[in-house]
Amino acid sequence: MKILIVEDEVKTGDYIRQGLMESGFVVDLARTGLDGHHLALTGSYDLIVLDVMLPDVDGWRIVQSLREARSTTPVLFLTARDSVEDRVKGLELGADDYLVKPFAFSELLARVRTLLRRGAAPVFQDQLQVADLVLDIPRRRAQRHGVRINLTNKEFALLELLVRRQGEVLPRSLIASQVWDMNFDSDTNVIDVAIRRLRAKIDDDFEPKLIHTVRGMGYMLDVTQPG
Amino acid sequence: MKRRPLSLVVRLTVSIGAVITAVLLTFGWMMERSINNHFVQQDVDELNSVVQALQYLLATVPADIPADELHQRLASVVTGHRNAQYQIRTESGSLIYSTPGFNLDTFARTARPVENITIDTVESWNDHQEAFRGAVLWLESGRLEDASRLRLAVATGIDFHLHYLDSFRSYLRIVTLFACLIALLATWFAVYQGHAPIRRISREMRRIRSDQLHIRLEPQSVPAELVELTVSFNDMIGRLEDVFRRLSDFSGDIAHELRTPITNLRTQTEVALTQARSVEQYREVLYSNLEEYDRMAKMVGDMLFLAQADNQLLKPELVDIDLQSELRNLFDYFSAWAEERQVLLENAGEPVHVLGDQLMIRRALSNLLSNAIRHTPEGESVMTTLKAHSDSVRIRIKNPGPPIPEEHLNHIFERFYRLDASRQRSSEGAGLGLAITKSIIEAHGGKIRAFSTTEATTFEVQLPLKME
Repeated sequence: MKILIVEDEVKTGDYIRQGLMESGFVVDLARTGLDGHHLALTGSYDLIVLDVMLPDVDGWRIVQSLREARSTTPVLFLTARDSVEDRVKGLELGADDYLVKPFAFSELLARVRTLLRRGAAPVFQDQLQVADLVLDIPRRRAQRHGVRINLTNKEFALLELLVRRQGEVLPRSLIASQVWDMNFDSDTNVIDVAIRRLRAKIDDDFEPKLIHTVRGMGYMLDVTQPG
Repeated sequence: MKRRPLSLVVRLTVSIGAVITAVLLTFGWMMERSINNHFVQQDVDELNSVVQALQYLLATVPADIPADELHQRLASVVTGHRNAQYQIRTESGSLIYSTPGFNLDTFARTARPVENITIDTVESWNDHQEAFRGAVLWLESGRLEDASRLRLAVATGIDFHLHYLDSFRSYLRIVTLFACLIALLATWFAVYQGHAPIRRISREMRRIRSDQLHIRLEPQSVPAELVELTVSFNDMIGRLEDVFRRLSDFSGDIAHELRTPITNLRTQTEVALTQARSVEQYREVLYSNLEEYDRMAKMVGDMLFLAQADNQLLKPELVDIDLQSELRNLFDYFSAWAEERQVLLENAGEPVHVLGDQLMIRRALSNLLSNAIRHTPEGESVMTTLKAHSDSVRIRIKNPGPPIPEEHLNHIFERFYRLDASRQRSSEGAGLGLAITKSIIEAHGGKIRAFSTTEATTFEVQLPLKME
């Protein structure tokens, strides 16, 4: 998967590139709006991460050119100003998602993966499986090691999210937004409690442990321990 | 460009001056007229007295009186009436007597006879640069003549009256002019003086600078008309002072709140770098830093939200919100956490709909709910009630627990306000949650308040059904 980053701020650009590369993406970094504009229109990318505030050609202009050229490459824009107008403008011009600085890298990564997945044909699977954990999606049932596990509706939704995005670190805010539709940070540890209860049901009595805490970032479901 | 309205002094002076001038002119005109009338009446009286004397004479004179004596008697009629003159003719026109001096022939011949001499019937005319007033009338001839009627023309000179009127008129003109000028000056002075309190207030207002916003004007020390102005001004300064104080408190708080995490980060990083450490230890430092960054990022985000609210930039995107299902979702979200704290969540009341920004309302309710759950003792329950009124809805979130002292209740919606000043950075975040909640409710045109009894604390939100 090839990603273009257009970001004039040197450190931000470097770290995003490094982070994305270490997550397994091929990354090009343009440090000016002009370079970004050129690369976006000529290169073939699966996703463009775009800073709006660029000194020469701004991000809006790039998205516009891209859409005028009938390119459907998903665009994730980064903005330092969290104003409704900015958001609306970006989305109207054809950007697909946005993040307000300062953002967590795990959040960026999660959004990038969501956008990349959006392009792919949706996979309708009746059954999801990780190790000996099996989810029966239509009947909303889970079993581990052949043992039926009783989950509440939300617990099942949470588990399904973790399984579908196996191997990805999911920030708490993303979990809150996807499972409970709470699109803001709460100053409570609601997500931690929910994960703890889910763990008690699917991990405590079984091996290997599937749900892992990634400190400072979020949670991840995988067969192997991260890092 | 809009023209500046005329100065108040000019406006008042001109209008009052115009009124005074009109009054003076009317008054002068009336005086002149009444004096004139008075003179006419005097003339009429004089003429009438001559006529009466003649009538008496004619009635009493013996028919056989010699011509000399008759002339003497007729002449004596006008003695004492310095300006009066007359002539009497027979109906056929032959002259019986005419006072010496001015010739009345023309008048006597041409004027129409009248019944009585009154102001309305008397005539006046000029002849040889002299002015006269007079009348012609028929007299009973009495015993004097065979003919039954005599034609009498009687007149009096009115030059001295007219001279007097002329000089009176010019005198009146000069007096009126001066009186007007004096009235204008007096008005101007009075109006200017009348504005002295305004100038004084303006000087006082100018004294107030940003560091002296506590200064207020004294409504007792100004005239009644200016009381409202000073009161409104005081209100404005009050609001400014309030905002100003909150702003400077806010920046102070920001500096303070950021200082702590920055100090932590700095110290931690510096200490970590003083000597070589294991990878595990470095990782530990980075994780710990990450947590601080997170906290700071969240605080900056919250403060930006509040700054937007302060600048009226929060523009709710209004949709129909089912508050009951909204609360149900929030209960769902908080259920695991509440269960762990052994706190029950209960909702009562009717299904209620309101127009609002879903994300914002959800955030506001979430803040109130998490706050309530956090302060509820184990085993007790948080109670929410919804109620619809005719033009608003009421949401109450009530939690049992220790009461919030009265002195804190008024401040809990302020930024960074903590009930316990000594309690630093707990799990509760930066103390912006309730301030954000209040901003959201107010951006929706609603109100929020809190009240506390010994058993429970209640937050009450009032949202209008329709936003203006």
